[in-house]
Amino acid sequence: MSAGRAERSVRGRGGARAAILVVLLIAAVLPLWVGRTQPYFLQLSLNILIFAVLAVSWDILARTGQLSLAHAAFYGLGGYTSVLLVTRAGVPVLIGMLAGGVVAVIAAAALGVLTLRLRGIYFAIGTLAFSETLRVITKQLQFTGGSSGLVAPPLLGGALPSQYLVILSILGLVLLVSWQINRSRWHFAFTAIRTNEEVAAVMGIDVIRFKVLAFAISAFFAGITGAFYAHVFLFINPFEAYSLAVSVGALVAPILGGLYSTIGPLLGAVALRAGEEVLRSTIRSGYLIIYGLILSVVILYLPRGLLGVWAGLVARRAPRPAREGAWGGPR
Amino acid sequence: MSLLTLDALTKAFGGLVAVSDLSFNVQPGEIFALIGPNGAGKSTTFNLISGLAAPDRGRIFFDGADITAAKPHDRAHLGVGRTFQLMQPFHNMTVLENIMVGELFGHALSKSMDEARRDAEAICDLAGLSLLAARDVTGLGVADLKRLEVARALATHPRLLLLDEVMAGLTPIEARQAVGLIRRIRDGGIAVLLIDHVMSGVRDLADRVGVLNFGRKIAEGRFEDVARDPGVVEAYLGEEGVGADATTGGGISGDATVGDRA
Repeated sequence: MSAGRAERSVRGRGGARAAILVVLLIAAVLPLWVGRTQPYFLQLSLNILIFAVLAVSWDILARTGQLSLAHAAFYGLGGYTSVLLVTRAGVPVLIGMLAGGVVAVIAAAALGVLTLRLRGIYFAIGTLAFSETLRVITKQLQFTGGSSGLVAPPLLGGALPSQYLVILSILGLVLLVSWQINRSRWHFAFTAIRTNEEVAAVMGIDVIRFKVLAFAISAFFAGITGAFYAHVFLFINPFEAYSLAVSVGALVAPILGGLYSTIGPLLGAVALRAGEEVLRSTIRSGYLIIYGLILSVVILYLPRGLLGVWAGLVARRAPRPAREGAWGGPR
Repeated sequence: MSLLTLDALTKAFGGLVAVSDLSFNVQPGEIFALIGPNGAGKSTTFNLISGLAAPDRGRIFFDGADITAAKPHDRAHLGVGRTFQLMQPFHNMTVLENIMVGELFGHALSKSMDEARRDAEAICDLAGLSLLAARDVTGLGVADLKRLEVARALATHPRLLLLDEVMAGLTPIEARQAVGLIRRIRDGGIAVLLIDHVMSGVRDLADRVGVLNFGRKIAEGRFEDVARDPGVVEAYLGEEGVGADATTGGGISGDATVGDRA
């Protein structure tokens, strides 16, 4: 690669990065402005951001080759931890949410050690069993309110714009963490482990350490987001907290948007939730069937997700030697 | 003192004893070749040394320390590097990034990303991969993949390098290049333990040879002596094969590539 071209591509990447950042900032602030007259829009945006945090954090774990169906488990654990701490111990809501994230980390470390030897589909089944078990236990227990769940105190007095800023900050943090990981040495460890654990180990990578680390980081954001959800919607029950829809959604969005990247899962989450909303408001009944069909087609025919489509368009417009990074997408 | 010592290693998979009571050592700066028919236990031996499998009995010492129970990544940090017979590059990474993994994680030094990249580029040059550095590994040919295997292992800064059939499947010219590369590695102060069926390469390179058959060591010594050993000849050719090969004087001649049991 000539020095000139290298310089140009670096500058091009820097420009693209700045453009993405500006678009993200506008998109982030827009709902607050529109939401002054249309609270529904702000509420929808908040839902999208919750989903985006789950998708981006799920992807961080997926980079180590672990396809988890336990995101709902950490989401629910975070929610119950926070609601119980706030209602029983009088802890401030924001501290409760943080504690929810920490409890999710502890649970992830424990589950991680148990499921270390499981790979691929067996890991997925193990994590699904963990999530379902938590739901059954929560349903049976007295202090979690059984099937009917618990009433949750509101976050920041129930002020929607302030709540929006909280989830926006959490999303900003998880995006930063995801992006930093992909440009650090961790990225090499995660990708190597995903490709071949034995070779990664022989190359000096402490496979167990990195897998548990990824699991813990991923779970922290699921936990804190589950707590956020409870304190915004003012209740928590086992069916919503440990819903399979949470785990599956967290997995579908990165697949749709582009796995192992920072922007891909974000893009996928926004496209999924916004698309669902558009369909719901235009087609009265059976919109989920149409939604499912579109999703199946998109995933079947776009193996690298929306980011792959974008990369393809860029490559066609400005042909240049293929130089893919270790993630097959932008950092 | 020996760099590597295997002391009466035994490893069975179910009823099959893959390695049985195996002992040998590798000296610093030495090239030691492990040969034997397919299924003789050579690859299992490599897995035992690199920590991917645990022996049922016996001990492994590296530079005087007992590493029998050490984890694979700890052994890498101590200086045990290896390649894989079936090339196992990290897909979705470029050639250079594959090598950078070793520079980043393979040793006790803590290198920055820039240092790791620079040092990986130097190893690319050494292994003749500089022109391919920015290429994605998907689509590389056999010879380049083998070179990458060696380069990646070198990036972990090993003191002992285990080479699993890096000459097999190469053209004669490529095999000669591989021999040159292995010599350069040894001259750089790295001891080499290699498995190979390419006998010309083993003859040219090895200071000492150990022969395995059915998991047991049946001979050890200089290549010329071992190749004439009747037990070794029989192991390679099978009992019926001995007479049939009389024209070449029997045994494992220099240029033969001995693969399966005859």
